[in-house]
Amino acid sequence: MTESATQPIRLVIIDDEPIVGKRLKQVFSKMGFDVEIFTNSLAAVQFMEKNPFDIVVTDFKMEELDGMDVLREAKRINPGARVIIITGYASPETAKEAFKNGVFDFMVKPFRLEELKEAVLRAAKAST
Amino acid sequence: MVFFQEIFDRIRGGLSSVQGGHEESIKAKFEQFKKVLRSNQVALEIIADMGEKLSGDYIFDKRYIEESYEKLSEAVLKSVNALNALCDNKYKDLYEVYDRVTRHLLEILKQREDRNGPPVIPLKAVTRSNNAIVGGKAKHLAKIIRDLELPVPDGFVITTRAYHDVIAYSGLAPKIDKLEGLIASPVIDSHEIEDLRREIQREISRLDPPPRLLDDIAGALEQMDFKDMDRPHLAVRSSAQEEDMDFSFAGQFDTVLNVRARPNDIFLAYRKVMASLFGKHVIEYRRTVLEGEGQMSIAALCQLMVNARSSGVLFTIDPLDSQSEDIVIVGNWGQGEAVVDGKMPTDTFRVSRKGGLKIVSRQVSRKKEALYLSAVGGLEKKNVPEELWDKPCLSDEEVIHLAGMGLRLENYFKRPQDVEWVVNLRDELLILQSRGLLLKEQDHIERSLLNLDEKYEIISKGEGLTAQQGIGCGPVKIVRTMKDLEDIPEGAVLVSPRDMSKFVQVMKKVSAIVTEVGTPVSHMATICRELGVPCLVNVKDILSKVHDGMIVTVDAEDQKIYKGKVKELLAYRNSRAMNVFESRDFRLLRRFLNAVAPLNLVDPLIEDFKMENCETYHDILRFIHEKAVQELIALGKDEKRLLKGNITRRLELSIPAGILCVDLGGGISEDAPQDHCELKHITSIPFRALLKGMTAPGVWHTQVMDVSLRDMVSSMINAPTDALDGQYSGHNIAIITREYVNLSLRFGYHFNIVDAYCSDFPRDNHIYFRFLGGATDLTKRSRRARLIAEILRAYDLNVKTKGDVVTARLGNMQRKDMEYILDILGRLIGFTRQLDVHMENDAQIDRYLQAFLNGQYDVSIR
Repeated sequence: MTESATQPIRLVIIDDEPIVGKRLKQVFSKMGFDVEIFTNSLAAVQFMEKNPFDIVVTDFKMEELDGMDVLREAKRINPGARVIIITGYASPETAKEAFKNGVFDFMVKPFRLEELKEAVLRAAKAST
Repeated sequence: MVFFQEIFDRIRGGLSSVQGGHEESIKAKFEQFKKVLRSNQVALEIIADMGEKLSGDYIFDKRYIEESYEKLSEAVLKSVNALNALCDNKYKDLYEVYDRVTRHLLEILKQREDRNGPPVIPLKAVTRSNNAIVGGKAKHLAKIIRDLELPVPDGFVITTRAYHDVIAYSGLAPKIDKLEGLIASPVIDSHEIEDLRREIQREISRLDPPPRLLDDIAGALEQMDFKDMDRPHLAVRSSAQEEDMDFSFAGQFDTVLNVRARPNDIFLAYRKVMASLFGKHVIEYRRTVLEGEGQMSIAALCQLMVNARSSGVLFTIDPLDSQSEDIVIVGNWGQGEAVVDGKMPTDTFRVSRKGGLKIVSRQVSRKKEALYLSAVGGLEKKNVPEELWDKPCLSDEEVIHLAGMGLRLENYFKRPQDVEWVVNLRDELLILQSRGLLLKEQDHIERSLLNLDEKYEIISKGEGLTAQQGIGCGPVKIVRTMKDLEDIPEGAVLVSPRDMSKFVQVMKKVSAIVTEVGTPVSHMATICRELGVPCLVNVKDILSKVHDGMIVTVDAEDQKIYKGKVKELLAYRNSRAMNVFESRDFRLLRRFLNAVAPLNLVDPLIEDFKMENCETYHDILRFIHEKAVQELIALGKDEKRLLKGNITRRLELSIPAGILCVDLGGGISEDAPQDHCELKHITSIPFRALLKGMTAPGVWHTQVMDVSLRDMVSSMINAPTDALDGQYSGHNIAIITREYVNLSLRFGYHFNIVDAYCSDFPRDNHIYFRFLGGATDLTKRSRRARLIAEILRAYDLNVKTKGDVVTARLGNMQRKDMEYILDILGRLIGFTRQLDVHMENDAQIDRYLQAFLNGQYDVSIR
């Protein structure tokens, strides 16, 4: 767990459904992460340009930039960042491309919150 | 999305080949029966899976709902096909029922379900099935009436169906569609939107009522209870489609107070409410927050205007000091709008909730003016009689009574409440509204949760599955039997060895539920989700770690149970402005499941068990299952056919039960002879258990009971018709597989049916038991039914009686517990054979109950 970590790990969450973002913020703040949520992927990327971040959890299907674009941008800005893409519309091709672009995990909805927590914890371990 | 008609044609088209190959062989019938079971099972699993997604523990999106819908509609259609193939197309009308339900589901997916149903519904008649058309406020109030039985002013809802009718009648639809398009468009033209919405508002304010609507309103008015009022008035309020819209729009939608209870006056008020749907802020919210999604329609709640002696608001925790745990009541004389506006002086009462409700302070202001109903409609400011200026607007008793209502509302809705109340001129307290209390958003409140494990003693961590997310705190109440439910305190944490659907009767009171065994897809879990009761199931050894009265805090989000009250977690829970589980897709799934999962057809013995009464897929599946089983039972009439089928054997027992066994697979061992079998050959798990009970020493008395001629005649006249039409006559039949038994037993004038599935997977397991009898007079019969019901209840079965029919159910249990109950049922079947002429008086019910519980089965010993 990250509970004992001295410096909180910075998590960026992007989902165009505001309530999902809020929910995830609660979950991960409760676990000790520093969480920023965005419903607009472009705004999220602008934030990442200016602020340090460690992990990105992003929805795939969005207006403006989609999850793949977010992945590329996040990796460009911070090559060490871990990006987790969550999607309800998975095809083997997109998954393959995501992994080619260095995605940390590619999660297909529906899944239990627990699974996302585990993925983020793995990402946290990998980035410390 | 595959359009349902396509699936339809494809599969239905394929049906003819099934029929074409249909032979008169029994085996083919059984194969078809198994198909019914299989497709039913597939469909029920999809429903259970969707239900589980509502626990708040999942991330899913619309795609999941659409895919589930496709799989589900296909599975249900397969079941309909399989039943018709089994029954030679006897149920072809079921396709129409299927079409109707499926169409409704598609409308939900397209978010158009607000167009169906009656235009006007009495508030008392609002149920889950018409939730989609009454709006959030009415839905909420209906729950308070139905589940908490708190007094609420009578009224009715003009539904969203009426809204669409009015729009269609007015010819405004094209303009509204255009506005919808503009709102949803990513390119914003604010001026165009503004002009159009104003134009629509203007036109609505000039609309004529469609003729039938006034009749419907008149009909609803006739049903209202106006008691002794000579000029009744109503309040007409908006009831927006989504509850959080009600929440965000307090004040944005119009409310018209003190409207004469006449159809035309009400329509004029309703028109104003309708027009407010096109208010500037509302349109802006829909464009930005809802991004053009969501339904564009509005319902109106028309409630009796209470002529108020006093009124005001109650907060179940102090919004300014959420740590204090005091209930705060603010009020004034007259109508409550004075209090809500904050423009007039008010009285404030604080009630402590620690160790029983106690008034801790009263601040009484000088109240010289208040709002009263005006003779010309609306409200007017009037002077308060001088002797009342400095008197509190509520007596101490009323304050405590009101605080108690507030607590019940908080316990029911699982979060602090903001309640509007009123006292009428007869000094009766009524609830006008209750909603989640908006607390100031506390930033980084989650930070306070980081080291809870060090601050508080942990009772259980990482154990169990979340059936419903949330946080609850209260004294433990251990529930082992149904009797323990009787004295469960308000706000308790219910802890039990397993989950039981019976818990529903206390769910409005408890703050959380924890069970040692159970599954997130059980019936109980479903109800927890409906009512938002935090619930953990499968928490190992929890019973050995807690005791009655011990205060615990259950965090179902992180599967942790703490000793004591964890204030940080409760503050975290209370800080949520709205229910964060309620995302767009979450609400859609819930609406969808409301049209899929409820079971209205429960008991085949009750009149309503008819094809046309199927409202949901679950009803259709239940109907199919019952009819398929009946079809098999009907086969039993033709013994020769059964025996020719080569899968039927006479069961030879030490008792003269005369049972034919029909083995559909794995129910009888292979070394059994061709024409008969014995107990030792039975490999069906539930049937073996049942037979073990039936043949237990002392259970089966061979001495035949003499039924008097009078009793005999009585039974002939009064026996239920389906018992006499020959459907169940003939041999006693057991249809079995390794995990399944469907046993129909007829002894004299008794019919027992046991339908049980018993495997190593608790969630698949169920027992259904039905007893119906005759052969004695009505009084004795009903005594007998009561006795059987008492016995079954003693073993925690869920029992219903209707006349002399007793049905009992139990499900979701471990295999060994199932076997135990089946053994008991076997004993009960033997026991009831003798009861006909013995039930002379009521005292015998208890005597025989005790005898049965003590293993004394011979009732001839007096």
